[in-house]
Order: sequence, then C-alpha cells, then structure tokens
Amino acid sequence: MNAIGTEPYIILSMVLFLMGALGVLIRRNAILLFMSVELMLNSANLALVAFAREWGQVDGHIFVFFVMTVAAAEVAIGLALIVNIFRERQSINIDDLQQMRG
Amino acid sequence: MEWLFLMVSIVAVFAAGMMLTRQNAVHSALFLIVNFGCVALLYLMLDAPFLAMVQVTVYTGAIMVLFLFVIMLLGAETTTDSSGRMRWLGWAGSLVAIALLLIFAFPLASDMLGDNSSESHDARASLRLINAVPGGDAQVFRVLEMDFEVPLSDEVAATVNLVGLGEDAAAAAIEAVRYNDERPASRRYTDLPAGDYTLTATVGDSSYESGDVYSANVSLAAESAYTVLLYQNADGLLDYTLLEDRIHAPSVGKMRLGLVNGVAGRQVSLVDVGQYTTIRSLCEDAACSSLLPHRVLIDQLPLGSQISIELDEGEYNLAFVDQDSAVLRILAGYKAERGVVETRVLAREPGVPGSQPAYRAAVYHAFAAPAFGSPEAIGQVLFIDYVLPVMLVGVLLLVALIGVIVLARPDALAQAERRRINRRRRVSRPLASVIAQQTGADALSGDYMPKLKPGDEPAD
Repeated sequence: MNAIGTEPYIILSMVLFLMGALGVLIRRNAILLFMSVELMLNSANLALVAFAREWGQVDGHIFVFFVMTVAAAEVAIGLALIVNIFRERQSINIDDLQQMRG
Repeated sequence: MEWLFLMVSIVAVFAAGMMLTRQNAVHSALFLIVNFGCVALLYLMLDAPFLAMVQVTVYTGAIMVLFLFVIMLLGAETTTDSSGRMRWLGWAGSLVAIALLLIFAFPLASDMLGDNSSESHDARASLRLINAVPGGDAQVFRVLEMDFEVPLSDEVAATVNLVGLGEDAAAAAIEAVRYNDERPASRRYTDLPAGDYTLTATVGDSSYESGDVYSANVSLAAESAYTVLLYQNADGLLDYTLLEDRIHAPSVGKMRLGLVNGVAGRQVSLVDVGQYTTIRSLCEDAACSSLLPHRVLIDQLPLGSQISIELDEGEYNLAFVDQDSAVLRILAGYKAERGVVETRVLAREPGVPGSQPAYRAAVYHAFAAPAFGSPEAIGQVLFIDYVLPVMLVGVLLLVALIGVIVLARPDALAQAERRRINRRRRVSRPLASVIAQQTGADALSGDYMPKLKPGDEPAD
C-alpha cells in the first residue's frame, strides 16, 4: 500500500508551491492572484500530510485543518475586498491599485 | 501504486500550469478545482481519508465556488493581464522558480534514487509498567537518583526509575520526560531514548525472601511502545515480561479480548462455559472440565505471556481455568460489545498466606489505536492537545465574518472616502478663513467658502 515514500510527495508539493508563487508573480488579475495563493497553501498542506504519514502522527493533519480554516477566512475577506475594489474602479488589475505606492 | 501517484501528480501539475496560463478566469478556477481534486486523491494515498473529504468539501466545494461566484458576479472573466510593462517578470519568475526547484529537489531526488535510508534521528521508546505482584502497595524501581511516579494497574502505585547502561544512555535517561500521572490512562507512558535499560525493583512486602531486589535488562527498540508486566514467578521471585502494546483493532462487529497471565505456576486457559454459571460448585474435582460443554478460547497460556482473541458480540460466561482444570476466576455475564478492545491481566489477589488464594482479572487498558488519519484519531488530537488553537481559529473565523459583513455594506468604501474628504476640509478651513481675512475677499469659492462662525460645518 505505502509503496511510495515521502520524497515524491515533497517534490510534488515543491513543484506546486513554486507554480503558485510564479502565479503570484506573473498574473496581474487579483482573483487569479488569490487562486495562486490557494495553490501555495494547498501544496504546503500536501507536504504536511506527507510528513504526518512519515512520522505516524496526526498532528500534521491538525495543522492542515487549521490552514484550511485560515484559507477560508482569507478567501472570504479577500474576495469581499476585491468586490469592493471592483465596484470602485471597475478593474481588478493589481497594477491599477497604486494608491499606497510610496 | 507508483503509476497511480505518477498519473495523479502529472494531472495536478498540468492543472496548475493551465490555471496559471489561462486568460479566462473561469477556466483558471476550473483547472484549480481539478488540481484540488488531485490533491484530495493524494491525501487518500497518504492515509488521510478524512482530510481528503474535507479537502473536497471545503476547498472545491466552498472556496472555489466562492471564487467562481465572485468572478461571475464581477464579470471579470476576461480581465486581461497585459499591462504592457513588467512582461519580463514572467520569464524572470519562471527562471527563478525552476532554479529554486532544481536546488531544492536535487538533494531529495538524489536521496530517493540512492537507497540510503536516512538514519533514525531521535529514537525514542515508550515504556509502561503493570503490576501483577500480590502484596506491597508500592513497587520501587530504583536506579540513579531519579524518581518519577508511575501509577500501575488500577490499585497499585509504583515508583519507577530507569537507567541506561553506559554513560550516554544514563545521560539520556536523566533528560527523560518526567512522568505526570494526571495524563489519561492511554498515555501512561514514559518516553525514553531507545537502548538498553536496567529495571530494578524492590518489593515493599517482606514475603519475598530473596527477591527483595530484582533487576533485569530490558532492551527498548526505537519507535515502539512497551508495557512491562511484573509478576511473581514460580519460585516466588519477581519477573517481568514485555507485552504487545498496540492490539490490533477487532474485525467489524467483534470485540477483542486480550489475556495476560500473571499467576505464578499456572497455565491459564480461558473457556466459554455456556450456560453453566455455577461452574465453581460443579467443578470442585479436577477432572470435571471434560464433563462441561465448554469451548476453549485460549488454551494453556504460560506465565507472563499475552494473547488476544476476537469475540462475537453477545453475552458470555467465561472462566479462567488452570492446567489442572481448577477454576481460578469466573466472569459471568460478560458482555462483548463490538469494537471494544480490552486486555485483562489475571493475577493473584494479595491475601492472607495459607488461605485459599483468590484471583482477579484486572483490566488494563491496551488501547486500540484509532486508524491513522481517521476522524477519530484527528478528533482525539484536535480536542485534547489542540483545544486552544481550535478556539483561536474560531475567533479568527468570527473576526473574518465580521470583516466580511463590514466590507459587504454597499457604501463601505464610499463612506471611507467621504470621511477622508471631510478631514481635508476641516484642515483647510482655518487656512481659508485666514486668507479671507487677509485679503478681504473670498480666496476660495464654492465648496470652500469660509464661514464666519467657526465650528459650523457645512452639510455634506
């Protein structure tokens, strides 16, 4: 059953995380930015679950649980912000949001 | 298994790549859902079925639906990314990502291809003691000057000291976790570095003539849990045995009953005697066991060893019988409930010497560990070890809820904007009135008309 070790999962998690980070860097659409952040959170969760199995302890699962909760809160707030910003400016291109630029 | 992992991971990476490159945000969201589904499959492969279900319901069910809803609400499906500048950032980012991936993944991959299994870093073992010795209230295990209390079976408390053989192990034993007897029963373990240990015991009761001090060498392997059963052997000396600790969970609809023999000089059998609840009176003579229509569940268990059997759900009349068919103890009307795991230690009661010995079948809790990653296991850890974080996360969610409600008011940002303008006016008014006084004319017009009475604000 457990023919696969932990390493492949970690490598996969790393690949997904870097893709998410890449998405944050190259996409300018705020919603896609959020989706990339979700991708990164998910890959971190995958690593946590893989390590939890490696150690035979469910604490990793607990943390995945917490990460999911925080992600849900973050998405709710973030999307509410995006809706408001879109209402203000008719755009969610983050390059247009330069109010805070010093 | 490998091909399944490979397929799922390829699909996951492909979906993530498509998510990054699609111009249409709805397509991106759908590909992200595919990716999350793949991650849920990987959770299943990682023995985390509960998390896999949570992943599907929370991530793909709630979060991604929220995303799709917002995308469609805003009509932002085709918001283009191309702002012209920063085009190079994509390429630079890709390069950096690939470089990072190579740097991080190379050691892992080389480790994986070469079969050098990594050394077990901090090998620890857990130890628990059970006392089946009649007599003295306290058993003292003493090596070095390190005392920690270990409450043993239901009624007997003991003070235990453990020491490693050799300098290193002794040093390691000193930093062992001090035992805290307020932990729940399933956690009455002392965490120790793996290695060889000497157990010594002095018995408070003087009935052991030469067995006052007993010591034995125990070898504890890493990452395993031991239960040491102490008993009095046929010569009246203290002896111990290592018990199997994690009992297999019973099959569906059955219970698992374990038996440990802690009675000196007897080989205990466990028999199901059917309806004969008055077996003791029936069976005074030694040969009667053959007369009874009984079913032998455990046959001739030697001293200090352990065995476990499965019982169907129901009610039993069980008897512990020794090798001479003398009945030691009867459990009448024993209820077998499904899913229960129980281990009983048969031991002699402390009694007056010379009188008829009595025996007890004390329950010690050998826990059937809930399956790894099952909701039970997660729930246990979540609500025992992580209660405070759960509360904090609850508070966080509440704050997020309030934040969303505040943001969702139709004029949330407009109000802030108005407040900002108001503040600017309030600052500029005195300046404007100063100018008006100095020049004798209105320096500003329209909105910024100075009022003579200070503090009188224009209505918005």
